[in-house]
Amino acid sequence: MLRLTKIMSLAALLAAPTMATAAEVNVVSWGGAYTESQKLGYGDPYQEKSGVQVNWIDYSGGLSEVKAQVESGAITWDIIDVYARDTIIGCDEGLFVEFDFDNDFPAGVNGMKASDDFFAPMPSDCAVGNILYSWNYAYNTDNINFDGSYPDSMEDFFNPSKYPGVRSLYSSAMSNLEFALVADGVPGADVYDYMEENGIDRALDKLSELCNDPNGGCIFWSAGAQPPEQLVSGEAIMATGWNGRHFNAIVNEGSPMKMVWDGQILDYEYFVLVKGGPNQAEAMEALKYFTSSEGLAGSAKHIAYAPFRISSLDIIMADEPWFNSPQAGAVEIMPHMPTAPANTKNYVLMNPEWYADNNTDINDAWEAWKANL
Amino acid sequence: MSAEIRTSDGELLSVKLRKVERRRRATAFLLAAPLLFFIVFAYVIPIFQMLGRSVDNVQMNEFLSNTHEAMQSWDGSEMPGEDVTSTFFYELKGLVEEKNHGKIATRLNYEKGGFTSLIKKTSRKLKDFDENGNFLDQFIDVHKKWGDIEYWLALKRGTDAYHYRKYLTTFDYEQKFDGSIERIPEKKRINVTLWLRTIFVAAGVTFCCFLLAYPISHLLSVLPTRYSNLLMICVLLPFWTSLLVRTSSWMVLLQKQGVLNDTLVSLGIVADEGRLELMYNMTGTFIAMTQILLPFMVLPLYSVMKTIPPSLMRAATSMGATPFLAFRKIYFPLTYAGISAGSILVFVLSIGYYITPALVGGAKGTLISNRIAYHMQQSLDWSLATAMAAVLLVAVLIVYWLYNKIVGIDNMRLG
Repeated sequence: MLRLTKIMSLAALLAAPTMATAAEVNVVSWGGAYTESQKLGYGDPYQEKSGVQVNWIDYSGGLSEVKAQVESGAITWDIIDVYARDTIIGCDEGLFVEFDFDNDFPAGVNGMKASDDFFAPMPSDCAVGNILYSWNYAYNTDNINFDGSYPDSMEDFFNPSKYPGVRSLYSSAMSNLEFALVADGVPGADVYDYMEENGIDRALDKLSELCNDPNGGCIFWSAGAQPPEQLVSGEAIMATGWNGRHFNAIVNEGSPMKMVWDGQILDYEYFVLVKGGPNQAEAMEALKYFTSSEGLAGSAKHIAYAPFRISSLDIIMADEPWFNSPQAGAVEIMPHMPTAPANTKNYVLMNPEWYADNNTDINDAWEAWKANL
Repeated sequence: MSAEIRTSDGELLSVKLRKVERRRRATAFLLAAPLLFFIVFAYVIPIFQMLGRSVDNVQMNEFLSNTHEAMQSWDGSEMPGEDVTSTFFYELKGLVEEKNHGKIATRLNYEKGGFTSLIKKTSRKLKDFDENGNFLDQFIDVHKKWGDIEYWLALKRGTDAYHYRKYLTTFDYEQKFDGSIERIPEKKRINVTLWLRTIFVAAGVTFCCFLLAYPISHLLSVLPTRYSNLLMICVLLPFWTSLLVRTSSWMVLLQKQGVLNDTLVSLGIVADEGRLELMYNMTGTFIAMTQILLPFMVLPLYSVMKTIPPSLMRAATSMGATPFLAFRKIYFPLTYAGISAGSILVFVLSIGYYITPALVGGAKGTLISNRIAYHMQQSLDWSLATAMAAVLLVAVLIVYWLYNKIVGIDNMRLG
């Protein structure tokens, strides 16, 4: 009897590893409230439906790690959540799978073929749209420096004599240059035309005024969770950031914060599929589900980012209040989307091609500016 | 004439001795061999392979070998002739078919901004070209940038198999298309500032570590073992905590609404509006880095001080020296070996630091290693990153060489 138990446990031991290596897909994203929304919105449902295990890995952007994985042949990442600029660079470098868009991705629930159902054309052949998010700024409503009057425009963010206090900015040039030009009076739609002229210098001068002002001053954030933290701790009075993170802090954590949508930068976020990975086939299947009408609508239940598909918005609107907050209960999400009409009165549409083209110049100017602050 | 000494088996003693010595050396080598192989294969070879990237452009040269050859006879004073443009057309066409045109676009974009969209747009339109027509005109029709001679000059030098331009960039110089070397425009100068700042931070942190570690190490060396062990654990504790946890703890302590400021305010030492700026500036960088690197100074100092007999100081004072004189003339010189070992350790470690300064240093927290990391991770300009890394490596080697000149490496005591 004892012997039988021994044999059985040995068999179980041998079987265990084979079971563990059954299909799994590694998805790399930005962590925090955002990854949580992806996991709850389409990661877990897909795992339940297909039996394929979906693992979530955090990163803070950039292509070096996946480049190193591809060059060394030890690929562990399957799907990555990236900026538009990185889909262009990564696709050029041959790191990602090129899609045959309408054949690879299912039509929307409204019957539209995939390429029509997605809001905008993809920036490269390797990209499939995920969300529309926004760079905007938020302030701490409890801060003693607000004397009954609160900021409501991008100009106010750059006006330290009216609203004294330290500002928190993103640690690289992206978003800061656009905000500065908008605050300097450039209409949101024309920002990149001015960039081609002497826009970078003009934006940096505007930023210098703010950061060198004795009433102002700047600190910098690099992880999406930082701006709300800095606002709540009082380290900054206003902070730029991603609208979903601000919204999460306000609704789920009850932080005394408010967002300002004037001069917001609308940006798209994408998924890419790493070429040559061991789970490429499974990952493709998972990606189909993630970016389906239901999948993308699912993540909007947990974060205030707009799904990339028109048909997903239909699903949400038919079923408001759609957002599901563990603390505040059900909340109507459409008014909090970066695409809501009230929020898009003056906005900039991010131009990834300008960044891809002028990457070196922009970054050198930005870092030199920062180093001489 | 001296008699030859022989061993019992009749061999010359000197020969036998040499044999034994050789065997002993072989044994020693065999014992060290696994480590040696490991270091060579896992460390030395990869480093040199990586550093090679700073000058290596062979892949580009192969992708566009015919264009490169055709361009050799073009002097660049006026627009290239049809021999060049047609060669480039056919070669680009081949690259598009093999889907390699994206790679040349990113590489060429390092030479001159704008190439990414230029190559992409041109690649899409290649099929519309009339192969009997004028190629240059057709290129310009696709994108007016082809009418700018600098793009052709960038193409010429961007296909050289080897180049040293990344090393110029490292020191804020650039090579113009006419071959002259100039400093880059003031608004874009960044690297020299960062080199100087890195050296300043490293030297400052080393000095702070020395100031703090010297008394601690002395105390450690004179205390009875049971107390000194406890104190030693306190010194070593930071070693057992992850770097990020330690840095985050400093952020909790130092921020404006942090523990330290709160305490000072509640004690009435500073006013609530006048809270100290301890973070997001140089102060924060110095405090956090000094604490993190302190053990590297304490350990060598302690091991040296432990060996100094207390009787030396007593002898000096008994002969009439004041305590200060005895310290200056006797004790301090005896600790030189520890000071220099600790200093070189701390200096070399802090010259490569970047996570801590980036988190607590604010706008002034960017050091040269941050730039290396940026070019590795974000811009993917690995050749520039490795050029900077090579310069950093050389800088460390120079420090080591100076140390060896001044102190002598044999005098180093690490513990």
